[in-house]
Amino acid sequence: MCASRAIHSPVNGTTAIPWRSSRKRLSLLEQLRGCQEAWCPGAPWDREGAHAAICGTPAGSFLVVRDSATSQPSLLCVSAGGEHEAVVDYNITSTGTVFQLSDSRLSFSDLAQLVLFYSLTRDVLAVCLFIPRWIYSVTERSKDNLAQLEPNTWLCTPPGQHTTDEMNQREPSNVVCSIQLTSTNGALCIINPLYLHEHGDDWLTHRASAVQRATQPSNYRQERRLSSTRTWVGAGLTSKRAISLDQEPSSMESSGLTRAKSADLPRCPTTPSTPATPAGVVLRRPSRDSASSPPYRASTGSLSLFTPSNSESKSCGAFEPQHHGSPVLQSPYRVSWIEDGVWLPPPRPSSLLHPPSLELDSLSISSIEEEQEPQTPNPTPHHPSAHRLADKVIHRLSAVGQALGGLVSPRKRLINRVLELSERKGAAFAEAVKGFVEMTLKTGADPEGVTGSEFLQQVRSSLSSLRETLLDYPEIQATLDGITDINDSEIDSLVELSLHKVALKPVSAHLYSCIHVSRTNDGSFKRLQSNLRVLEKNGVEQLGGSAGVGVPDSLTLERIQQRWTSMHEAYSPNKKVQILLKVCKTIYHSMSANASSGTAFGADDFLPCLTWVLLRSDVVTLHLDTDYMMELLDPTQLQGEGGYYLTTLYASLYYISSFRPRLAARQLSVEAQQSLNKWHRRRTLHCNQSRRSKNRRTIRRQACRERGAQSFETETEEKEKSGKDCDSVNNDESQQQRESSAEALQPLKEDTSRGREAEDESQIPSQASDCSQQAVTGS
Amino acid sequence: MALRELKVCLLGDTGVGKSSIVWRFVEDSFDPNINPTIGASFMTKTVQYQNELHKFLIWDTAGQERFRALAPMYYRGSAAAIIVYDITKEESFQTLKNWVKELRQHGPPNIVVAIAGNKCDLTDSREVPEKDAKDYADSIHAIFVETSAKNAININEVFIEISKGIPVVDAAGGTSGKAFKLGRQASESHRTCC
Repeated sequence: MCASRAIHSPVNGTTAIPWRSSRKRLSLLEQLRGCQEAWCPGAPWDREGAHAAICGTPAGSFLVVRDSATSQPSLLCVSAGGEHEAVVDYNITSTGTVFQLSDSRLSFSDLAQLVLFYSLTRDVLAVCLFIPRWIYSVTERSKDNLAQLEPNTWLCTPPGQHTTDEMNQREPSNVVCSIQLTSTNGALCIINPLYLHEHGDDWLTHRASAVQRATQPSNYRQERRLSSTRTWVGAGLTSKRAISLDQEPSSMESSGLTRAKSADLPRCPTTPSTPATPAGVVLRRPSRDSASSPPYRASTGSLSLFTPSNSESKSCGAFEPQHHGSPVLQSPYRVSWIEDGVWLPPPRPSSLLHPPSLELDSLSISSIEEEQEPQTPNPTPHHPSAHRLADKVIHRLSAVGQALGGLVSPRKRLINRVLELSERKGAAFAEAVKGFVEMTLKTGADPEGVTGSEFLQQVRSSLSSLRETLLDYPEIQATLDGITDINDSEIDSLVELSLHKVALKPVSAHLYSCIHVSRTNDGSFKRLQSNLRVLEKNGVEQLGGSAGVGVPDSLTLERIQQRWTSMHEAYSPNKKVQILLKVCKTIYHSMSANASSGTAFGADDFLPCLTWVLLRSDVVTLHLDTDYMMELLDPTQLQGEGGYYLTTLYASLYYISSFRPRLAARQLSVEAQQSLNKWHRRRTLHCNQSRRSKNRRTIRRQACRERGAQSFETETEEKEKSGKDCDSVNNDESQQQRESSAEALQPLKEDTSRGREAEDESQIPSQASDCSQQAVTGS
Repeated sequence: MALRELKVCLLGDTGVGKSSIVWRFVEDSFDPNINPTIGASFMTKTVQYQNELHKFLIWDTAGQERFRALAPMYYRGSAAAIIVYDITKEESFQTLKNWVKELRQHGPPNIVVAIAGNKCDLTDSREVPEKDAKDYADSIHAIFVETSAKNAININEVFIEISKGIPVVDAAGGTSGKAFKLGRQASESHRTCC
């Protein structure tokens, strides 16, 4: 209960977020802690005194009463508001370090967290706790003043406090806070600050006033009962969303409010308006494994509406008395479904299409683009109820279980924000996207224009500047700041993904055809296909794999082919990489299937195995996708796991296309280096551009390192070339290098007529190094 | 605490135990999320070094001669390279020398080079004398450690030495030092085995 305690401090092992804590302002939680004496007074305050003070105050007004004997907080007295001015008591259990309401499973490490939580979400309460508006203004006051506040001051609600104007004027960042709490079984729940960002804090008071009008004490029991049946009609959040869409009054009018109103009405699953609500409703898939959701929906609103069909009929009737006459629903923020087991990761389907281990963890972009895997059916709809419960929590609260492995809602929200921006008339970002799409579609169509990797690099640099434009929007920054539960690199991926959706999607087919033309013209595809025929008979051991390493069986191979297909269908390079990782994992599985346990297969075996798989795949399309990924992927992604396996895919394709049994391996190496030098330089150039300043410190350093490397490489290369020139024996090679370095990603120019023997292999580099080594090391 | 991602490339003949070294290095990572899920050819581990966190992104390469041409794709942009040889195979030590040459020529400037003589538990079949390897490493200012992935000897030390060898990021964001700035002497403690 220390007032200075950072709100992001780890609770039960959750990780602090360093760069965000540095931006921490005086939060609502801290303000609450500061005036705890006001809302949790000591003696002589008792239950009767509290009731007397609370009586007549707005619904949700509360005081915490301490036990007279132990002076531990023992009772939460909450005004139910309404005509009867009832006050409801809730027992508080405290075990010294943990506070919880006796009826709830949720426990909190201090009382202020408990209060704040119940001001956001009702859980077992009849209404959310009401925190007076004036508390937001205590930022400037000294702590002493805070501590001297009286309970009566606390409960005092000056007139006019609920005006919306005042709400809007208030700096929204004041409410940036998050609560992490654990239930008794160790499950974690987070109130995402994004929720507050997204919906503002006005719902706090809206809710209060609405409840004041609508809630009758007689409803109280029913409310309780409803809470325990864990059903939800799904309209509450929608209405909140409509209120917070202040930037777009028109869209609010067209989608938000109407939807809110229609949703307000008592409705059943059969109500036609429910599934057919106007654009802006996004139904999230129940889970990443499930394909039971509708495929892709364009959306303008960012609200996810979820209607649990199996409980709908029950809830329809039950909710009826609650909804009529109230345009603003009562609190949709409720976490009382958190119970044992719900937060556990859903059991994996046992289908062959989804082996249990095919989960990704790096580059974890999650399945944001739900349209990307239409071909993966979900044959085992396991535990739908658990899914639904989890979905409800995620959607309505932006709460997330750590065990569920990701926050879908904030991601969705960002993506939808970006979509909104890209469609906003006259906005700089929308114009930039439009210009990019038009320019890209035009550029490739010109047969005389640049093609291939140069073209893709233009696209990549355009993406990077679009990204900058996007990040210049304060609302995007605010949205990103609100995402507290994924790390910076994942946020980067998220921004990239949303960018891909608006910018890359419209042009991806065009980019494919450009790459195809380019690669056909330079002979890459032909070379690849002819070498495929030479190599395809080779077993994995002939390809370099060690004895005992397994290869995918026909069924697995078929599954891999499906993945390749979906990889090709994905327009986002990040998504493609994600699918590539799945394939690699499958291959790894096959490798070790028959191996003795404990064998750690490294690259020595993986590369041959991947090559073996590629030789049984559509290498032309794969080459196309590889180009696409290598040129368009955010440069910061190239160092991680995705970058590694992408490099390996590229290397394997390169091996196939450059395969010449009698060609000196080392000669290839020199050329490969030239080619890669080029590629690497191109890619790292944009590394700096695409980085965002303050929160990206580690990456920026990396970029600096890379930048230093580039200039050095250039120098090295030049020296190396001059060294080559004095080497008359290898004139042919140096000539060839220049040619190949002119076209970066292109596999080697073939020159088998010279047919250098393998014995030459160590000669060339050492000769080159004789001339250049001194210069390199001396610098 | 600042987090630095360090790409580390593993080079060396096939069968010298590159992936075993990494496997051993990351095996005690208590956080399952840190460990890779796909396979042993790419692994990460984060360790604390002074007031920084160093996240090693370890890129394994295929050591077969036929794949040598592909190595530049892997060591591109690496902060460090661990070149592994097998102390029971003289040939693998010769390959190591070629890798050093290639890195000097085409590798990133400032790359920290560490030489790991693996399988130092197999003293009976030793072909590469430790002194020879040590002298060679000194001559190129490389980190030198004899390791045994099997017996978990000196595995962490390799990475600790790499952390020490990584240029400090100064305020201006640049890195200081020359190519092959590897002046660290392998300390006596590294020779506890064999």
